[in-house]
Order: sequence, then structure tokens, then C-alpha cells
Amino acid sequence: MKKILIVDDEQDIVESLKFVLEASDYACYCAYNGEDGLKLAKELVPDLMILDVMMPKINGYKISRLLKYDNKYKDIPILMVTARSQEEDKLIGEETGVNEYITKPFDLNDVVNKVKQYLGE
Amino acid sequence: MGRILFVSNRIEKVQQYASIFSQKQYEFVTSCDENSVLEILSVNVADVIIFDDSLPGVKQIMKKVKSIEPTSAIILLTSLHSPDQELLKYTNAFLTENMSEGLILATVSVNLKTKSSLEQLSDTNKNLADSLYRLNVLYSTSSQFAGSLDKKKLIDYMIEGLDKSLSFGLTCTLCTDSEPVLILNSLYEISDELLSAIKVRTVLNYKSLFEDKTPPFEIDAESLKVVKNVKYPANRFTFSLFQYDNMFAPISLGENFFGCIEIFKETPFTSDDATCFQTIAQQVSLPLKSATLYQEIKETNLKLEKLERLKSEFISIVSHELRTPLTAIKNSLDIMTSGKCGELNEAGGKFLSMAQRNVQRLSGIINDLLDLSKIEAGKMDYHFANINIHSVIDYVMLSLSGLAKEKGLNLIAEETLDLPEIFADAQRLEQVLTNLVSNAIKFTPEGKTIIIRSHIADATQLVSHECFREDLKKLSGQYIVVCVEDQGIGIAEKDLMRAFDKFAQIENSLSRKVGGSGLGLPIAKQLLEAHNGAIWCDSELEKGSKFYFAIPVAEAKVLLAH
Repeated sequence: MKKILIVDDEQDIVESLKFVLEASDYACYCAYNGEDGLKLAKELVPDLMILDVMMPKINGYKISRLLKYDNKYKDIPILMVTARSQEEDKLIGEETGVNEYITKPFDLNDVVNKVKQYLGE
Repeated sequence: MGRILFVSNRIEKVQQYASIFSQKQYEFVTSCDENSVLEILSVNVADVIIFDDSLPGVKQIMKKVKSIEPTSAIILLTSLHSPDQELLKYTNAFLTENMSEGLILATVSVNLKTKSSLEQLSDTNKNLADSLYRLNVLYSTSSQFAGSLDKKKLIDYMIEGLDKSLSFGLTCTLCTDSEPVLILNSLYEISDELLSAIKVRTVLNYKSLFEDKTPPFEIDAESLKVVKNVKYPANRFTFSLFQYDNMFAPISLGENFFGCIEIFKETPFTSDDATCFQTIAQQVSLPLKSATLYQEIKETNLKLEKLERLKSEFISIVSHELRTPLTAIKNSLDIMTSGKCGELNEAGGKFLSMAQRNVQRLSGIINDLLDLSKIEAGKMDYHFANINIHSVIDYVMLSLSGLAKEKGLNLIAEETLDLPEIFADAQRLEQVLTNLVSNAIKFTPEGKTIIIRSHIADATQLVSHECFREDLKKLSGQYIVVCVEDQGIGIAEKDLMRAFDKFAQIENSLSRKVGGSGLGLPIAKQLLEAHNGAIWCDSELEKGSKFYFAIPVAEAKVLLAH
């Protein structure tokens, strides 16, 4: 079973993502702040990560940058989820190696489809 | 009358000359060697010095005297037919051995007169040079005034100008800007006792400006802030400073007073000094006024910038804080309606769909608000490129044909083939067209038709209702025009011109019933303006509406067409 790590300080959003992804037969792991998220990512080495931008302690861009510049983790696809939609945010996202950029409010089916696409299903 | 020094070692000559000059009102002094000559001259200047050329070493003495008393008239008493050439160099006039008394007196008198005229001339010259210097100081001070909008600097320039032109001992400048400050520019150190005396004096001076009225600043000598600039701190002023000559002037600021200045000097001020002082104190007033206005403008600007920042922050808050909970609601609803939590009964499904629809609507409104704020803050990002209008129409047809079908409407595109490209942001145009077509779908009853048309037109061929004519007048050249025609409820003629206003609630319109933020059309208008295009509409109540927008044809294509 493929492992997906969801990192978002909004527990309700994590819950709903977890629900639909588990329904699609993925093993979901959750973290509610950047620090825990980064730690868990290194422990688990998940097959894919869903990452929020604005989080306490370490923000999503920083996590993405730290992972993408580390050979051990650089191949983990990162889907960045955020309520911000300014162009410059997208640019930062690209610069930090984010694979996909999803703006809130998003469609759960879209997210599931994106995940499937990245995990080659 | 004049002081005469007679230098000779011949007693008979000394006696002869003493008797000649003592009859008249001359002061007559004699000497017979270099040392006593120098001693006499160091006590008092001689107007005329007569040298006897038979005195040994006379040349040496004359040379020395000429160098220390260049203005004294030197007369040579000679017995020689042709005196030494070098002696002639230092000499203004000659007396010979056998000259009569009258001739001797006349020679000395002429030389005295010449000397006093020369002195007058040099005094006048000096005065002229002083005036010129002062004018230069005034000029450079006023140029400095003109070049600054900094109040502190202006006051510094004023004091600098006064220093150069009047070389004062002390100036006490009181500035009442935001907080009263007493600026002391002093040659010497000021004792604490003297400082308190100066403070009290300044406060009294300031109060005297306002006569019986209450001054705008309540200044207290005790707590008055002082800035001291001392030139030679090794020395110190005493209370005798108040016996110095002094002058006082207000520093005005339009109708108010910015402060006042008092200036002290050991020697008396002349009337020219007074004029110079008043001029400089007055000159600073105008730039101070400008500086005050400038400061006000700067403060207003800062406030505006702060407001602008607050607006951006607001955008970000709306963006983040509203969208996040909305996402959680939407996700929950989506999960429930997907049936993954078990089957819903009919009513439950109906109400969940209702909630879903309204979440959709709410997020649409948030997006519209964000767009409008971004456009108004000039922060909207546009990605202009040469694009084809067909792709925009295709996109909108594809995304909205489902909705139209659901409502039982015919959505048709009647396009002109091979239209030239336009220079535009495809995504923004899709947003505009989506808005127009969704409005049409909202307002058109079942069974009717909506048509999207596109064609090319020259600006001069465009026609519109008169309330949009001003907008169309701005256009020139070739345009691609897109028209969305519906058979809906239409807009009354009187409401047409408000169709693109923000939050326009068209009376009796169905917009309330069918929903929408009321921002779609104003956003469309702004987006079209960013494209140098235009948007307008035409409508007839109960028959339907036509919404048009025009985008300029890309320039490269215009060139090719020619």
C-alpha cells in the first residue's frame, strides 16, 4: 500500500483528505505542523506528500526546499495546497520544487486524481 | 592737525623744525636713531615722518619704517643735489636745506591732506567690501534656504548665515516645531546659571510675541529642551554677556510663529547689522512654511501607504481565513454526497446539494471580491500573449454547455472563421466570457437560445446605446468583437448604464433570485480596460440582452493585413 503524508495545520482539511485517500486504498499519515511534518517525512519516506503553505514552526515552502535539495527525498512528489493564489506564491512554489499547486477550496476528486497521476495509477 | 616725526642727528635742524611746527597745531616728535624711531612708532602712528639724509644708516631706518607704517607720508630732508636713488624709492616728498618756512609747512600740509584722503578712500573701500561680503552671505543663505525642506537644516542655515555676516557671540534660537527646543550657538561655554537665565529670557521673549494672547505652546523654562553648539569650549561666558549688544527677531511661519531668535555680540551692532539680521530671520520663514507643508504631505502619504498595506493584508486575510474553513465545509459535503459514508435519503441528498451549491456560490463571491481588490490595488497579474479568440470561446462552450443543457437552453457559437489574433490574457478573457454566458444562462428561461458571436470590426463601425458611447470613443483601429445574445428577461433602458457598476442592484431584476456577487460585470469592465478594450450592452425588457466586448487586434497581424 502506497504511503501518503498529509501536512496541514487545519485538522478538518487533513481529515477529509485522509478519508478520501484511504477510500482509494492509500495509507495516510498526518502531521499538523511543519516541524512534525518534516520529521515524519524523513522517517517514513512517503510515496507522495500533500503540503500546506502557511503552517506554524516551518512553512510548506521550507519543507519542500529542504526535501527537494536532499537526494534521499528529492523524488517524493509534493502537492502544495494553499489558500493563497497570488502569482508570486506559485513562483516560489516552483522554485522550491513543488510538483503541483492546488488552490483552496479544491475539489477532493481532483486531488485524488492528481495523487493517482503522480503515483502512476 | 597731525603728528610729525622728525628723524635727524643735527641739533640745529631739530631746533629749526621744532620751532616751525610748534607755531602751528602740530604734534612734533624727534628722534635720532633706529631704536627710538621704532619705539615712538609703536606708541603712536606718525602721519608724516621727515628723515634727514645726513643721518648715518638712514636708508636702513627708512626701509624698516616703510614696512611697518606703509600709510605714513615720508619726506626726505636733503642737502644733496641728487640724492641716493634707493632713498627716493621710499619718499613721498623732499625738503631742501635752504627752503623757506612757508614752503616747508606747505609741503607737509599737502602730504597730510593726501594721507587723510587716502585713508578715507580705504575706509570706503573696506565698507564696500564688507557690504559685498554680506550680500554674498545673504545670497548663499537664501540659496541654501531654497534648497532644503528640512526644518532643522533651515534653522542651521539661518544661524550659519548670521555667523558669517554678523560674527556673533551667542544666538538663542527657539523653535516650536513638534516640541519646543532652544538652540544655542555660542562662541564659549555657558555656565548652568547663565543657561537658566537665558532660558527664562527666551521664554519671556517668546511670550512677548503673542502680546495678550495665549501662545500655542506652553513653554516652561525649567523643562525646555536645549541643544548647545559651543565653538571654543575652553572659555566660558559670564553674566556680562547680557551687557553685550543684542537684537531680537521673531521667526514667523505664515500667520503663526515658528519661534524667535536673539543674538548677542560684544561690540555694538550697526544699523546695517540690524537690517541683515532681520532679512535673514525673515527669509527663513517661507522655506519653513514649505517644509511644514511638505512634512504634512509626507505624513499623509505615509497614512495612505499604511491604508494600502492594510488593504493588501485584508486581501490576504479574506483569501486565507475564508477559504480555509470553506474548504473544510466543501470537502465534508463532497464526501457525504459521494455516498462513501452510506446512502442518503432523498431529502438529505437534496439539502446537501443545496449546501454544496451555496458553498460554490460563496467561493465564487470570495474570488470575485479578491479579483476586484487586486485589480483596484493594481496587483492583478496579466499574461498577455497573441491568442485566438476561438480558443476562448471553445473553452467557455465546453465548460458551460453542461449547465445550459441542464437548464434546457440552447448554447450556440456562431463564429466568423479565420479571425486575426488578439494580444490578450486568455485566462482573463475566459473569465469575462464565462461571466457573460453564465449570466445569460441564469436569466434565460427554459427552451430559449443563447448565441455567442464573434467578428472583426473597425472602431468606427461599433454602435452602442448612447450611455456607452463615451467608452467606445476611446477606441481606434481594428477590434475583435464578441457578443453574447440571450432571450432572457432583459434590462430596462434606465438601468443599462449601471449594469457595470459595483454592487449594482438593478431593481426588480432577478439577480437577487438567481444569485451572484454583483461583481462579475464590474470585474469584466476592469479586465477589458486592462486590455485597452471595451464592454457594453444593449437590451430590451422581456426580449433579451446583448453583451458585447471588444479587444484590439494584435499589432503584428495589423501590419500583415496591410
